[in-house]
Amino acid sequence: MSGLVHGAQYAVMIVSSLLAVIAIGIWFERKFAGRMQSRLGPTIVGPVGLLQPLADVVKLLQKEDIVPKDADRALFDLAPLLAVLFSLGAAAVVPFSPTAVAADLDIGVLFILAIGALMVIPTFAAGWASNNKFALLGGMRAVAQSVSYAVPLVLVVMVPVILSGSMRVSEIVTFQSEHHWFAVWPIIPGLPAFALFFIAMLAESNRIPFDIPEAESELVAGITTEYTGAKFVLFYMAEYVHTLVGSAVGAALFLGGWDGPFKPGLHWMVLKTLLLFTAVYWVRWTLLRFRSDQLMDLCWKRLVPIAVGLVFLAAAWVQFVPGAR
Amino acid sequence: MAVSDTRRVLPVVRDESALPYEHPLYRSLLGVPGLSVATAVLDQLLEWGARNSLWVFPMATSCCGIELMSAAASRVDLDRMGTIVRATPRQADVMVIAGTITTKMAPRVKALWDQMPEPKWAVAMGSCAISGDFYRNLYPVVPGIDTILPVDVYIPGCPPNPEALMHGLLRLQEKIKARTGAPAPRDPVLAAAQLAAAIAVSSNDRSDEPVGEEQELLVQAPDEVPFTEIASDYDTILREQFAVGEFPADGAPIIPAARHHELARTLRASGYRQLVYIVATHCKAKALGKTSPERYEVAYGLRSLGKGSNVASWRVQLEPGASVPSLVGLFAGADFQEREQFDLVGVRFDGHPDLRRIMLADDYEGHPLHKDFPADAPCAPWR
Amino acid sequence: MTEGLQSARRGAIDPHLSIRHYDADADLMLLHFGPQHPSTHGVFRMDLYLDGEVIVKATPFLGYLHRGVEKLCEKLTYVQQTPVVDKNDYVSPMINEQALNMAFEKLLKLEVPRRARWLRTLLAELQRLASHLLWLGTFTLDLGGALGGGSTLFLHCFRERELILDLFEELTGSRFHYNTHTIGGNRHDLPAGLAAKVEVALAAIAARLGEYEDLSLGHAIFQARTKGVGTLDSDLALELGITGPILRASGVDHDLRRDAPYHAYDELTVNVATEHAGDCFARASVRFAEMRESIRLCRAVLEGLPEGPIAASKAVRLPTAVKIASGQVYVGIEGPRGEIGTFVIAGGDTPTTPYRLKIRAPSMHALAAIPYVMPGATLSDAVAILGSLDPIMGEVDR
Ligand code: SF4
Repeated sequence: MSGLVHGAQYAVMIVSSLLAVIAIGIWFERKFAGRMQSRLGPTIVGPVGLLQPLADVVKLLQKEDIVPKDADRALFDLAPLLAVLFSLGAAAVVPFSPTAVAADLDIGVLFILAIGALMVIPTFAAGWASNNKFALLGGMRAVAQSVSYAVPLVLVVMVPVILSGSMRVSEIVTFQSEHHWFAVWPIIPGLPAFALFFIAMLAESNRIPFDIPEAESELVAGITTEYTGAKFVLFYMAEYVHTLVGSAVGAALFLGGWDGPFKPGLHWMVLKTLLLFTAVYWVRWTLLRFRSDQLMDLCWKRLVPIAVGLVFLAAAWVQFVPGAR
Repeated sequence: MAVSDTRRVLPVVRDESALPYEHPLYRSLLGVPGLSVATAVLDQLLEWGARNSLWVFPMATSCCGIELMSAAASRVDLDRMGTIVRATPRQADVMVIAGTITTKMAPRVKALWDQMPEPKWAVAMGSCAISGDFYRNLYPVVPGIDTILPVDVYIPGCPPNPEALMHGLLRLQEKIKARTGAPAPRDPVLAAAQLAAAIAVSSNDRSDEPVGEEQELLVQAPDEVPFTEIASDYDTILREQFAVGEFPADGAPIIPAARHHELARTLRASGYRQLVYIVATHCKAKALGKTSPERYEVAYGLRSLGKGSNVASWRVQLEPGASVPSLVGLFAGADFQEREQFDLVGVRFDGHPDLRRIMLADDYEGHPLHKDFPADAPCAPWR
Repeated sequence: MTEGLQSARRGAIDPHLSIRHYDADADLMLLHFGPQHPSTHGVFRMDLYLDGEVIVKATPFLGYLHRGVEKLCEKLTYVQQTPVVDKNDYVSPMINEQALNMAFEKLLKLEVPRRARWLRTLLAELQRLASHLLWLGTFTLDLGGALGGGSTLFLHCFRERELILDLFEELTGSRFHYNTHTIGGNRHDLPAGLAAKVEVALAAIAARLGEYEDLSLGHAIFQARTKGVGTLDSDLALELGITGPILRASGVDHDLRRDAPYHAYDELTVNVATEHAGDCFARASVRFAEMRESIRLCRAVLEGLPEGPIAASKAVRLPTAVKIASGQVYVGIEGPRGEIGTFVIAGGDTPTTPYRLKIRAPSMHALAAIPYVMPGATLSDAVAILGSLDPIMGEVDR
């Protein structure tokens, strides 16, 4: 019972703080993009434009809710809700500090992967239900992409699991704080695995250069083409939550979570997550977009073989290096 | 403004249907302490949100669209006030109509406008969107976008500067703040009066007579040097294979329709590989119609490549109703060109695989560049 | 009808075949791409028949911006035409104006003063630079999306383009539609100090061009998206009447600035860049080379700019000041998108207005390539191909 209360407490805490972080994250991204493009970004709404995301949400919430004719009404309404739910789900098992974790499952890593794989359902449902060709194309692209990139993602996530010998995320973090962060040591399976994780995460959360399901220069707005107002807010949020949670998972699995050079704790985890989050946007505002077949090429011909190799290397490290565990 | 003054003194008729709607609970809710404050604050918040996050749907059809892009670019940066561009109408609040709207495009604009969720606003950017600019009296142009959707802010200019667009959006924010909403439908009486006044002004336009002693440049009969230079190789082809001895002074050599395809093929084989133009003309004027009262003339130009590139041109003259052999088999580029000339002038091309209208809608009637087509044609159904 | 089908590519694709011919019971998706779509560069529509994401057939539809310019020109006097043609190719108004006024000058057999010719060269090259910058921006926007790296390069290109627009604004008083050329010369001479500002702007652009090249031509994703995409062979390009950078990217060494010189190009040397691949990448690299060449030409013009009057006679201001009795000419010059030409028949009932005026739009010929280059490409490629053809709908539809 106490576990449930604890879980509920932290769930509320984590969700609400995630949403707050996302509001700031959106503002930060717009400012950041602005600076990269030699302009200012939001400046007028609130101090240094800080209230811009709030204004956007307030505005979007009062917009008319349009369901296209011949759309699959139930699916159309359900998809944005599911998107937020699934994108938040993975946050449940990510330990932000030794105590700030909603549910410290012993199969935490598996849970993250499973929930992450579920994200494809609302995405495709949205594309399918909208009764719009651009949305449908976006949905189909999303399925192909998520299913493919789940493979290297699963494989590279196995590297920290093998190295630490546990599937519980908090144990993986503890192991790193006792030894080294996996991105630092053992550098050979660790760092490339981290890089691969980052690439696969970009693809899973549909970020440039892998944002082909949204591809607004090709598919207008991809799966969200027909969504208005509140439902669009949910998709918009899910997108950011997904990225943020992905960054948090990366920080926990490869960058030592709450561990830091001094005073380990929540702040280190937040810092690392935000750094990864920024990196995602740095990439986003720099690169062009791949074509869908090139995306598959990259996944199956490059990432998957490398990931398999890394798994073997990790196993070999654990097996043959004395004191690896 | 005399018209609106007379309106103000009209007797006020109490029209029940014009009264604002009142919910049955309204009176009793008024009594709840603090509720009015809460709703007022909420109202303010909603209005603040709507005002500060104007996402633009760029209905950018032409030149003004480029300035719309400039406005989003670094120097002006619409993102400062929270304005970003959304490609889908479903997520936009403001439709910025930037550019000329043609009769072919207008139904699409209306459809896109209808797809935008309420509350929504429209900004007419540039004189084309406001009134049709100088295309106003032409057959394919909608004389102002406000004839099909309600416009909130007009930004004059051709094109308006990016700063002007930003100013227009700021004015829109003021308007949202003042909650004036969309403008009332046009008063038909007032509109008719304004139209009459506008017509009166335009018919008083300055005459075409030259004023003052500005120098006139006039070219008289062009007998000394022909306008069309004929390169020596083309000259040889014409003289030896097509027996054209005399070149007309006022333009390109005239070739009989029966041999024109052959000429094109010969020229193509001898290095004139680029189709430059196909221009059909309906000749009806006195000055041009010396030989026959009415005919069509199709001028062709082919260009040779590389150093000393020149254009070999010829004309084919047709009686009304006759057609000219198509060049599509020789030059794939003739496809669009011939369709355009068919569409605009009404000349038929024999053997064109797909001679449809290209510029105007398929059900359009008439050929606008035909000389019988009025210069100030009404653009149905707007006028 | 068989004689034209020599080119292998054209033989394989007949744009007029009905879709039923392809595969009677194939489950093809018909996608209306445009007329309002973020990547159609205005109001252009293609009907794409998709098999999955692969295009089986593409049919272009024009006319959504048909404004009746040629009818309008028949109504207006020779002097009044210039501001109208500005709006055709609205990304390079200067060159439109030149093509128009050169045709009238040829009808009038009017000699343009040397300084005016040099000035026109300068304006044309600056305009070409601005136009290619806009092309680069929109092209990467197509490849990278408005919410991504594409827009970063786009905004940087716009920043540089603004530098040129500033110069034009100082010269003519307008950012966009200049109306600075007139029959027999120019209206506005370089104000004091503008030449130095041109130098500064050119230096800034030249310095940053390398950076943009790294971000586009030198970038692996850019190469992956453009190499081998939308290949147009030289035979087909010639058959379609394609001119300008697209033709040069297909390996045809043809540039009117060098081959049929006008303005001051006979006194300058123009290096013509060609590529042989004929794909989107080749088109992009040709345009990059042209930007460099334009910068070089601008500098050369500034160096050699002669003194003298900028208009042949007293400036033509009155609408009816020019009368032409009869005649028929065509003048084509090299615009950023290819040969912009004006065909005029003078005379008719009024000597002050042309009887028929037709504008040759290079983009229209470029769009004619769509049925030939699209099949086999994917939807993402379609965007890249369209961007590399760089159509401006204002001049296509007129
Ligand atoms: S108002 Fe002027 S700049 Fe704007 S679209 Fe019309 S012609 Fe072009």
